[in-house]
Amino acid sequence: MYVKVNADRCSGCRECELVCSTYHFGVSNPKRSGIRIEKRGLTEDIPRVCVHGNGCRYECISACKFDAIKKDDGGIVRIDHEKCVGCGACARACPLNAIWTFEGKAYKCDLCGGEPRCVKVCSQGALEVVR
Amino acid sequence: MTCWSGKLLYVDLSKGTVKKEDIPEKLYKAYLGGDGFGSYYMNKFVSGDADPLGEENALILAPGLLVGTPIPTAGKTEFFAKSPLTDGWGEGACGGSIGLALKQAGYDVLIVRGKSEKPCYLFIDNDDVEIRDASHLWGRSTRETEEEIKKEENDCSVACIGIGGENLVRYAIISSDDRQAGRGGLGAVMGSKKLKAIAVRGDNDIKMRDPERVLELTFEWYEKMVNSQAFKDDGQYGTGEFLEWMNRERGTFPTRNWREGVFDQRQKIDPYYWAPRYSVKNKACPQCVKPCGKLFVIEKGKYRGTKLDGVEYETLFSLGGNCGNPDIESVAKANELCDLYGIDTISTGGCIGFAMDLYENGILTKDDTDGIDLRFGNPDAVVKMVERIARREGIGDILAEGVKRAAERIGKGAERYAVHVRGMEPPAYDVRGIKGMGLAFMTSPRGACHLRSGAYALELVGKFWKYEGVDRLSAKNKGQEIADMENFMAIYDALGVCKFSRGLFLLEGFHDILLATTGMDYSEDDLLKIGERICNLKHLFNLKCGWKREDVKLPPKIRIPIPDGPSKGSYISEEEEREMLDDYFRARGWTRDGRIPDKKLRELGIEEFAK
Repeated sequence: MYVKVNADRCSGCRECELVCSTYHFGVSNPKRSGIRIEKRGLTEDIPRVCVHGNGCRYECISACKFDAIKKDDGGIVRIDHEKCVGCGACARACPLNAIWTFEGKAYKCDLCGGEPRCVKVCSQGALEVVR
Repeated sequence: MTCWSGKLLYVDLSKGTVKKEDIPEKLYKAYLGGDGFGSYYMNKFVSGDADPLGEENALILAPGLLVGTPIPTAGKTEFFAKSPLTDGWGEGACGGSIGLALKQAGYDVLIVRGKSEKPCYLFIDNDDVEIRDASHLWGRSTRETEEEIKKEENDCSVACIGIGGENLVRYAIISSDDRQAGRGGLGAVMGSKKLKAIAVRGDNDIKMRDPERVLELTFEWYEKMVNSQAFKDDGQYGTGEFLEWMNRERGTFPTRNWREGVFDQRQKIDPYYWAPRYSVKNKACPQCVKPCGKLFVIEKGKYRGTKLDGVEYETLFSLGGNCGNPDIESVAKANELCDLYGIDTISTGGCIGFAMDLYENGILTKDDTDGIDLRFGNPDAVVKMVERIARREGIGDILAEGVKRAAERIGKGAERYAVHVRGMEPPAYDVRGIKGMGLAFMTSPRGACHLRSGAYALELVGKFWKYEGVDRLSAKNKGQEIADMENFMAIYDALGVCKFSRGLFLLEGFHDILLATTGMDYSEDDLLKIGERICNLKHLFNLKCGWKREDVKLPPKIRIPIPDGPSKGSYISEEEEREMLDDYFRARGWTRDGRIPDKKLRELGIEEFAK
């Protein structure tokens, strides 16, 4: 399962970022979000979010020297914030630019236990769940 | 404390100093944020006799209280200053990310005073605040400026001006993410301070009292929004969706500088025509799940390469119908230039339509216009005039002053064609057939404006909120209605919620939202009281600036009956104008000449500002 992006439909509102951080951390802060909208000037709004191996080679897992990123039994790639030191190696390795570091920790999508909240508030169809 | 950061940042560009202050919790309770803080701090920091383009004027920026929470459509940031267009209360709301960034940097209010000697920009990186050189940005467009600063500093939000602001065009805008704080010339205030941009990086969390409940409410309102008719209409066609209806059913689409109320060539600028051809995708303000913006792209022809977020309803009027311009590509190009140069599309179109009217009536000739054939309906002339105005070249230099001052400069009876209230060019509502809006144009603290009251929808449809059976062609009983609507709308600006959500949230929707985000337990009446406080403070500011009842009047064109269409024959007489104003002042509890009695000030807890 992963969140598929249809970038040409994204309006750039970033509601997904605020909902993601609020759901996971109880605070609103795009910098703690596991999905981010990359804005390129007026014309491009590109949602960046992890595909959990569906189109990458788990570069983040290979890049982590601290055993802090793992694929769980359900195929979800997760970061263990206890172990993460925020070195940023995963973020640099990710071919989709879908991991970020903020205040010493890496952040990425964990699929919200199977019901991604970002998809729930995307009114434009830019995000969809692929099972 | 949740949902607010509790700090005010004060920058003096003359002295090069930076100060931080705590905002007492009682101010949040009395004013909420955004518009509330603007009304409070404007009265506190700007004197009535301040030169709008002088160092004593302050530029104030305040995100709405709910900005940064996931509550949908709460993405508006308000800018304030004494207006160089009206010499009174100035404000503009903008759907850019600058407010979210400022809040995350730890500030709910930014106040900039003084004047820099050289072009500068303000860089706020959380606790660190720097005034930086901006010589390399001076002369650049809004889009270039934003991109350039983002190259220098990643991960920041920018609000900036274009050459319109630099050249002190009296209706220059402030731009953030290609969205504009449009009205009243706040961009010229930045220009006068040599402040090219404000860039902000913020890392702080926005805390909420009950985040789980906030998410529940977010999903609940999200569902209501995406299932609303407005979602379908705005999503496909943007705010111009009702343009045909405004013409065919109401006949209140001001056309050719307010000669007519129906634009005969409207089909060519109707979004039902252009959206399928030119709109590439939707564009939204921050936190907005029902985007009204359109990425409008022209791929071929002489305006090839034009790209903008638009064309919005008001601009379809101002650069379209008001100039008799039936060429959507010209309207879009002129709109793009306004955005890039940083001037207000409504006032710009108001000024061009005015000049066209003068030209057709022989008051201006080709000698005055550098050979531009300024007849109504000349698409190229509209685009050229935007250039002239932003650069202050030729006749553009006079029009950059706004129609009121331009008419005084031109003379020869030009004032009969100048459509403005207290110096501000009006938006796309022919108030001859929407009489309550005629009153709203007069009572709006920033001059002819549709958004302080937002009463156009109520007037045109006849019902909204607690009002029913409102007759747009009558001038009776409009005082309480407009006062109520102004109080209502002030809450939207204080919370930073888009007014296009007003039919959904109304005011009662905010009860649970405020409880979950801040813990404040406010009824509709509590909120209306805050709205009333805000509206009174804005008026108080205008009184300090020398506001007089006799200066508040509708333009001469409003006395001429609408010549055709569904509102044919309708106009606002002098008597109706007087009656509506009397009625409004009564409803407000003000004196007949519009002063605020001490009793009212005390009732609202704002007597400290009366001196």
